[in-house]
Amino acid sequence: MGDTVIVVGAGLAGIQVSHQLADLGLRVHLVEKEATVGGLSAHLGKVFPTDDCALCLDACEELFSGHHRRCQYRSLLGTQKKLSLHTLTEVRSIKHEGDKFSVSLKTTPRYVLLDRCVVCLECINVCDVEVPDELNLGRVLRRAVYRPIPQGVPLAPIIDMNSCTKCSKCVDVCKVDAIDLEQKCKTRTIKADAVVLATGVEESSPSVLPGYAYGHCEDVLTQRELGRLLDSAGPSNGKALTASGRQVGSVTMILCAGSRDLNAVEYCSRACCTYSLKHAIMLREQGVDVTICYMDLRVPTHSQSFLERARESDVTFVRGKPDHVVVREGSPVTIVEDTESQKRLEIESDLVVLASPLVPHAAEREVFNSFLDKYGFAARHNALKGIYACGTSTGANDIPGSVAEANSVALEVYMALKGGA
Amino acid sequence: MNTDSLDTSRLMRNQFKLRFAKCELIDLTPSSVSSDLEFRNWILRQPEGKTLRRCYQCGRCTGACPIAEIDQSFNPRLFLEKVILADESLAENQLIWTCLTCEQCEVRCPEHVKIPQILILAKVRGLVAGNTPQTALDRARTILSEGRTIQVSDPMLKTRDKMGLPSLGSPPVKQLAEALKDLGLVEKLENIESIYGGDRDE
Amino acid sequence: MSKAIEYTYFPGCMIPFRLPHFELTMREVLRRLNIELIADEGHTCCPEPTTFTGVDYEAWLTVGARNIAVSESTGRDTMALCSGCFHTLSMVRYTLQSDNETRERLNKRLKRIGMIATGEVAVKNILHVLHEDVGLERIRKSIVQPLKNLSIAAHYGCHLVRPIEATHMDDAEDPMWMEDLIEVTGAKPVDYPDKMACCGAPISPSDESKSFVLAGEKLLKIRDAGADAIVLVCPTCYTQMEMQQKKAIEHLDPEFSLPILYLGEMMALAMGMSDLVVENARRYHRVKIQPLLEKMGVGK
Repeated sequence: MGDTVIVVGAGLAGIQVSHQLADLGLRVHLVEKEATVGGLSAHLGKVFPTDDCALCLDACEELFSGHHRRCQYRSLLGTQKKLSLHTLTEVRSIKHEGDKFSVSLKTTPRYVLLDRCVVCLECINVCDVEVPDELNLGRVLRRAVYRPIPQGVPLAPIIDMNSCTKCSKCVDVCKVDAIDLEQKCKTRTIKADAVVLATGVEESSPSVLPGYAYGHCEDVLTQRELGRLLDSAGPSNGKALTASGRQVGSVTMILCAGSRDLNAVEYCSRACCTYSLKHAIMLREQGVDVTICYMDLRVPTHSQSFLERARESDVTFVRGKPDHVVVREGSPVTIVEDTESQKRLEIESDLVVLASPLVPHAAEREVFNSFLDKYGFAARHNALKGIYACGTSTGANDIPGSVAEANSVALEVYMALKGGA
Repeated sequence: MNTDSLDTSRLMRNQFKLRFAKCELIDLTPSSVSSDLEFRNWILRQPEGKTLRRCYQCGRCTGACPIAEIDQSFNPRLFLEKVILADESLAENQLIWTCLTCEQCEVRCPEHVKIPQILILAKVRGLVAGNTPQTALDRARTILSEGRTIQVSDPMLKTRDKMGLPSLGSPPVKQLAEALKDLGLVEKLENIESIYGGDRDE
Repeated sequence: MSKAIEYTYFPGCMIPFRLPHFELTMREVLRRLNIELIADEGHTCCPEPTTFTGVDYEAWLTVGARNIAVSESTGRDTMALCSGCFHTLSMVRYTLQSDNETRERLNKRLKRIGMIATGEVAVKNILHVLHEDVGLERIRKSIVQPLKNLSIAAHYGCHLVRPIEATHMDDAEDPMWMEDLIEVTGAKPVDYPDKMACCGAPISPSDESKSFVLAGEKLLKIRDAGADAIVLVCPTCYTQMEMQQKKAIEHLDPEFSLPILYLGEMMALAMGMSDLVVENARRYHRVKIQPLLEKMGVGK
């Protein structure tokens, strides 16, 4: 039996399963379609249950003991011998050949050579092109050569060819010749003995969801977007500001905005209740009034403290699913029945934040179709022996749940390849 | 001591039976059923009423309802709660006739509960008590006697003729009556007085 | 010209007797598109879906099923101009198709009068016929007087569109077929907030004042969006929006005037049959449509 494993997706679950397998002596290729690792967690600023900066989580087993944490940018991802990280790389096909898988990969150019770049960032300083930074709601600008997530691994910048003018200033300033504006796509095929899908989830865009004025009013955001606002490295240095730059005084949160809904996403996304509470607590620390509209709160035991803290910090809870948000004098007003008082409320606030469902990335790609259920999630063990899945690719989950599943799948892969019997 | 525990277990068994009966909609024997429970079970047996089992009382219907917006006492979620709790007073509540049947609640309902249809079923239950607007009764009587919602007059027919529009004949009302005879609607309508009062249909 | 395509016409009560200019204009428009509507004297009231349902739902289903049976016996697809009729027929048809128990129960009654209803024959509204069966391209070719200067808002009305599984319309929250037709006539479709909001007509028998509030709000939103006129399909919405507008003039704004056009009138104007519209304008429009006609240069 061989010992090569391909892990698809370098979010926290993918990183975790890769580390574990490499530690156990297997040969691991970790494939990530984005330029940096971390997946959704890297967008979220602080993450629960430890309230740490997400980038400081290496998804290591020490996470829960709380004694030892490593930053992603100091992690072993780039140095561990048995682990190869392929960023900007997508899986083109997975062919089953005997008891092996032939996996075809395509890598799109970064235009900055990882083996040469010393991360001096001079290229960013000389770049003249400025475009809205998508990570930060377009509220701040970035250059054409930029780092999508500050301190995201790998640390080297990337060039966005859609906005690059090819003025070559960056090429000239680079003292180590790390910039190649003519870099081409590369394809390669790897023979693997097992494939682990850790393709993860993304927050779905509520723009198609009728009623909540998302896209009509700039002060209607998703929880991920609020996470960006509250991130100290975010567009307003962690301060909650409206789109017009005013300090936010009040926030209304709509839970299950498109989840557990036959018109939208039928399942529960499991993490949103807790991160909404996390954001509510952070807002309360800034003195912002917070109202949470919910149907029921689904907070796992290990995160129960967030609910307690939210209650202690005087977050207002309204039991009712809002129907719509109207915009009055530029501000969003949430229409909801408080099912306890049986009164229809019109809640005025500076921001409305939607807990938008988490939807699987894998569903976007045909190559994974045969491994997915009707929602686009994969089973932990596919019917096809040798195909595994973990993290949120098996269903929306929070970070502790994802990491636990990654650990368990790592052991299962190891047992199947090396466990004898 | 012994008898106590026996009683408790019998009580629990009865409670379990009752709960089980509600869930599975097994018809309870008439003597043990209040009329309200019959109301609830009747609604839950109808194809549209069945959808009520999916309701988790989130209240989005009330947020969506254009009538709830202008009248706080009109609360579709509360109406559904009354059905779930087998409270037949709903059928005799005049408010249910202010439902527009616009279906905005149903469009937004995360569980596709047929809310307007369930209110229609409640309206039907209120007929005998007179909880039907006079106009609705008059219209129903005209439909049964004329085969149309309105009395067709000679000028109307002449206008059609002048416009060159084809004759539509007279509706086969006898056939209609024959098809409906087992429902006894004509007899019911003869005896009902609306508690609404108000104008008669023109 | 090839043989006309025929639909069984379900007339209902409001359109043929109270608002015959609906039928007149639409018949002429359809004739230009090589479509004939064939009436069947066996049809009765649909029955109307807003009050009769709440009197006796089972009777409503039965009468509806009888009308479906009459339609099915003609062998043609049925088309109802009235949204109420369309709603009833499509709901009953949907029930016949999806609920075996109810279908058998209803057919037991129909058997007494020698009829049977299967739910297998299509029930359509005018938008299905124009937008789907005829198609925008063919309609575009028959437009001779484009309504260039007009901005028109579409009011669909609830019962034409919902529930979507029975009506087979394009969307329950944001239908677009009528806007497509407005565009084809050369006018500019006007978007306005809460497009699917109810006109308030169904509750005018039980709560006149609420009914007025809803209609008033709707009319104001449409006017504020800059529309010259509203185009609609439903005779009940039409009556409501015209009647309540008279009240709006008294209570809200003496200058208020938002002409209401029936879809057939709008299409007839664009197809060069303005005479047909002008002739009946005074008699059937409480809100004057003359300013509208002047804006497009006809009917002085």
